[in-house]
Amino acid sequence: MNPNKVIDLDYRRLVRAGKKLALEPGAPSVRLALLSDAATQQFVPVLKALFAEHGVAAECYEGAFDALELEVLDAGSGLHAFQPDVVVLLCATQALRARYYARGCEGELERLTRLWDALVARGVGRIIQANFALPFDRPFGQYDLKGAPSLYASVQKLNAALATAAAQRASVLICDLESVASYVGRRHWFDERLWDLSKTFCNLEHLPRAAQAIADLVLASLGRVVKCVVLDLDNTLWGGVVGDAGATGVEIGAHGDGEAFHRFQHFLLALKNRGILLAVCSKNELANALAPFEQHPDMVLRREDITVFVANWENKADNLRTIRDTLEIGFDSLVFLDDNPFERNLVRTYLPEVIVPELPDDPADWVRALTELDLFETTSFSSEDLARAALYKQEADRREARAAFTDVSEYLRSLDMRIGIEPFRRERLARISQLFLRSNQFNLTTQRHSEAQCAALMDDPDVIALTASLEDRFGDHGLISIVVARPDGHVLKVSDWLMSCRVLGRGVEQYLMNRLFALARERGLAAVEGEYRPTSKNGLVKEFWSGFGFASEDGRHYRLETSRYQKRDTFIREIAGPALEVSP
Amino acid sequence: MTPAEVKPRLETVFRDIFEDPSLVIHDTTTADDIEAWDSLTHIDLIVEVERTFGIKLSTGEVRGLKNVGDFIALIARKAP
Repeated sequence: MNPNKVIDLDYRRLVRAGKKLALEPGAPSVRLALLSDAATQQFVPVLKALFAEHGVAAECYEGAFDALELEVLDAGSGLHAFQPDVVVLLCATQALRARYYARGCEGELERLTRLWDALVARGVGRIIQANFALPFDRPFGQYDLKGAPSLYASVQKLNAALATAAAQRASVLICDLESVASYVGRRHWFDERLWDLSKTFCNLEHLPRAAQAIADLVLASLGRVVKCVVLDLDNTLWGGVVGDAGATGVEIGAHGDGEAFHRFQHFLLALKNRGILLAVCSKNELANALAPFEQHPDMVLRREDITVFVANWENKADNLRTIRDTLEIGFDSLVFLDDNPFERNLVRTYLPEVIVPELPDDPADWVRALTELDLFETTSFSSEDLARAALYKQEADRREARAAFTDVSEYLRSLDMRIGIEPFRRERLARISQLFLRSNQFNLTTQRHSEAQCAALMDDPDVIALTASLEDRFGDHGLISIVVARPDGHVLKVSDWLMSCRVLGRGVEQYLMNRLFALARERGLAAVEGEYRPTSKNGLVKEFWSGFGFASEDGRHYRLETSRYQKRDTFIREIAGPALEVSP
Repeated sequence: MTPAEVKPRLETVFRDIFEDPSLVIHDTTTADDIEAWDSLTHIDLIVEVERTFGIKLSTGEVRGLKNVGDFIALIARKAP
């Protein structure tokens, strides 16, 4: 496991590492199938080594060479026997070139979308389609862009069409191999000799970058996403030391010395607007640290963009613990950015799970350095992402209000909580799947259902798949909990139960449990059965079932007779429909 | 570069690629003599030789190689 996520992408090193993979028992695993019209024997060991360095055991299936249709469309193929979680379709520009010169690019899009849809129909939850690196042959020269019938123009069109088609399918993600190739540079990326000799699709030294692009998407699908960026202030967010230079004396602005910091803040603001929280962790007097946010006219980031603001003289590892506890997210979803190598090393030493990238000496290089690390992958984007920073801000206000109460029930009553419970709805599937992917702590079985799998649950008449949304006097929490259950004989079996930790201790789980037993009783079911699958992160709910009086023999499977359940009291009232209407 | 200069450096590359620190190469050595030498490691070998000796081999040159002796002669001819 590489905690800093800064992995050395040397090809020879990864090939060697791929031959002796050592993973801790209990490491998360993924079954990945790779289908390609290029040779993938060199690619797969590199891919497995990269996954191992991210702490994930990858079982890989290499489809037969250039046999995408046979693998996908034949129900008896090795691909389907393998039962992959993820199927990667990697089509080489060189193979496309050969087809193009034979009969043009007509039908290429339809060919691939047909394969995607066939995979979805067979129950594959996640498909990753690599797009095409733009070729260097340009018989029309720059006239290509005027719509000349050339390979170059056709590949550009095909890539755009693939992106559009993927956007219409929740299960399909595009791996932007073209951007990887263009970042490296086309003349270094392609090695036509290697294609001719062994059907290798790019220069060997760049195979790890291609593998990394795929691994990043798979890891994001598994819920490995960055949720918060923690920022130092002096010489990180602005030039100079605010304690010395004063609020308006620090370097920040669209011109001159502050331009690099200005650009950096714009990048951070774009992350915030995408749903990644920003926090400040600075060694400063609080008033000094806040002053530029409030007084400097050229600051891009403002106080309200920062969800948690910590400025004091304590050590930064302790302050990061405070930030983590406030946000209730895992250390491994925090990125810590600080210009000071001492602070970076301190955090790496005491909090090895936190992602701590090296920052180049020159702040002008920071956005590029962070972009190269591909830290900010996601598999979906919903309106909840846009609202996330505001949601967490409300939570901070709630904490303040709670401090004013001494009695918890009095506080809970004062919140005026309203819950909306309803079955899965199509327009909410993106958020539902996202919650399956992102919830680690309050998650009884940690099954990572993709959007397509959530749709299947929704459409199955035997399945009871419920969402809960909560609002209170401080604002909307949105969709915060999911329960999936299925009557089986005389028993109601709960397969999934998860909740956002933002609403821990509010009585939501008690309310839902009441509801579940009411449901079981209505249907004349004798008992409710649940499961706890331990992971490294869900220790929080180890006693969940026993806390409600469920009995277990193995600590994993729990059961409680319907007649013996005692209804719990809560301070929540139910309203019709969702508490928060999310526009699609 | 002379064949005598090429040989020990090439041997180091072979040992690295085939992960055998005691591997010894001779002019008559072919892919049949080294178990790990297949079409896949062959490409690794070519790319590593190019990097080590600072040369570029053409597809034809690579295809024309019959044994290690050919390889040494080719490198000796091209390496500065």
